[in-house]
Amino acid sequence: METTSVKAPTQLTDSALVNEASGSRRSVARWLPAAYLTVPMLILLVLFVLPMVLLALISVGKGINGAESMWSIGAYTSLLSDPLYLTIAKTTIIIATSAMVIQLIIGVPLAYVMAFKAGRFEIPMLLGLVILDELNPIVRIYAWRMLLGRNGIINGALESLGIIDQPIDALLFNKFAVILVLSTGWITYTIIPIYAAMKAIDPRLFQAAQDLGAGWWTITRRILIPLAAPGIFVAVLLVYIPLFTDFAAPSLVGGTSGYMLGQAVNDLILGQGDLARGAALSFMLLLATGVVAVVAYRLARINRLET
Amino acid sequence: MTSARGRVTDGLALLLVLTVGVVLLGPILLLALFSFNDSSVIALPFEGFTLEWYREALADPEAIKALVNSVVLAAIVAPICVVLGTATAWAITRFRFRSRAVWSGLVAIPLIVPWLVIGIAGLLFFATLQIELTLETVGVMHIMTTFPLVTALVAARLVRFERSQEEAALDLGASQFQMMTKVVLPQLAPALAASAIFAFAWSFNNFEISFFTGGYDQTFPVWVYGVLRNSNNLPLVNAMSTLISVVQILVVYFLWWGIRRVSRRRGTADELSTMVTSGVR
Repeated sequence: METTSVKAPTQLTDSALVNEASGSRRSVARWLPAAYLTVPMLILLVLFVLPMVLLALISVGKGINGAESMWSIGAYTSLLSDPLYLTIAKTTIIIATSAMVIQLIIGVPLAYVMAFKAGRFEIPMLLGLVILDELNPIVRIYAWRMLLGRNGIINGALESLGIIDQPIDALLFNKFAVILVLSTGWITYTIIPIYAAMKAIDPRLFQAAQDLGAGWWTITRRILIPLAAPGIFVAVLLVYIPLFTDFAAPSLVGGTSGYMLGQAVNDLILGQGDLARGAALSFMLLLATGVVAVVAYRLARINRLET
Repeated sequence: MTSARGRVTDGLALLLVLTVGVVLLGPILLLALFSFNDSSVIALPFEGFTLEWYREALADPEAIKALVNSVVLAAIVAPICVVLGTATAWAITRFRFRSRAVWSGLVAIPLIVPWLVIGIAGLLFFATLQIELTLETVGVMHIMTTFPLVTALVAARLVRFERSQEEAALDLGASQFQMMTKVVLPQLAPALAASAIFAFAWSFNNFEISFFTGGYDQTFPVWVYGVLRNSNNLPLVNAMSTLISVVQILVVYFLWWGIRRVSRRRGTADELSTMVTSGVR
């Protein structure tokens, strides 16, 4: 989705030259960008940049209408030295990374099937993925809860079949449930970039490799994965961040063992009213996601240049 | 040898597609199925067919209020986002000016910043300014987070155009306005239709931002979340969710169908795949 900043520069030159060549049009071009951009950029400055600055100020103790207002990194140090938050951070990393890996394990072969094998089912599968993504995410979480719960459909079915006589509690309110819900919830955004990258591969490459005696593993490892790599990194960029900061899924199916950082932010701010620590934790989340974004973006670009 | 292996891979591919299909669609289909179950407990066995839950859902004032809130909100947010997003995309793809890199970077950032952080920042921002949290605060936050999506979709489309047509129009004496309405907008139409639907869906489905900046005004996802936090699963939620999902599926399907028809008439191969992938590529 960051295409705007990536692609635009190379496309600009000719129009800029035209604009500079003719005097009257040049003066028009001076104020036109401002006419298009003023309102959108004001919205971004007021509703995005200002709140972010405020969040940063609150996290270092400078609340605007708060009683005490002094510079302090106390919120950060108390969070970082609290073993509770380290445990939550560990849980979050485990859950988000497992969900990401599961999605890639499913997504790469599925994107391959869609791009090269599906034939006339290619477009219906793509449409299915898009429709799935348009469905309400909270509704989709609810659907899983209905299936997995203590009195849920799976337990009910197993009991009536006589396979178990006690409902299995282990299905819901734990890490496993969160991973399942998150992996199924974001799969569209994982598959589509990988699929797009694979669509750009010339299928004759596979044929050539096969004729030269390469097995399917060699073809996957030496041709498919390297050429699909930019798509894979874009998928990670798009999906890992929301997985890492998710708040609805763990609070509806996570229980205590699936408690994630997103919930901790919510509980600090809305539950305990501890604005400084809540803001500090949000900022650290933002920092972590920023690192992921930069790394994934770099990898996606490097790989694109090499191929 | 090759054909045997080919058959094995085809079989594996089919198995993979079917398994993923069942895991992804199964829960939603069961959710819909149990909205017709004549029992207040969502469990097997199936007790019989009823429309009682639909009647109850449509008579529940909170459910209806949340649904109306969400629909009105998305219906206002989506067109505004299309206008703002397209204007931004146009400016950053068609003009060269000193601050261009700054603005095109700024408009891309909200797409990566987690909605949780945006929601929390918005909440603290409105609280600091002592602005009461209502549907309006949710609306402006939705506009702020959603128009960059339109910008990304439309800009991806704009950079693939033949720019010469626009220049020809200007050289032949068309005004900026004529060039826009007669040359650019017709070509952009599929991208605009797609971004309108995506913007509507982003606003309608958004949970985090609506949750943090909505105060006592609930949108549909916030209402579902509240019900699930406070009580057990309810067939009423099934009924409401099924209704909404059916509408969402129909809207996406008809949009796709419409875009395909328009593209075919124009003789361009503008399939769903290019439309969807242009957004993420």
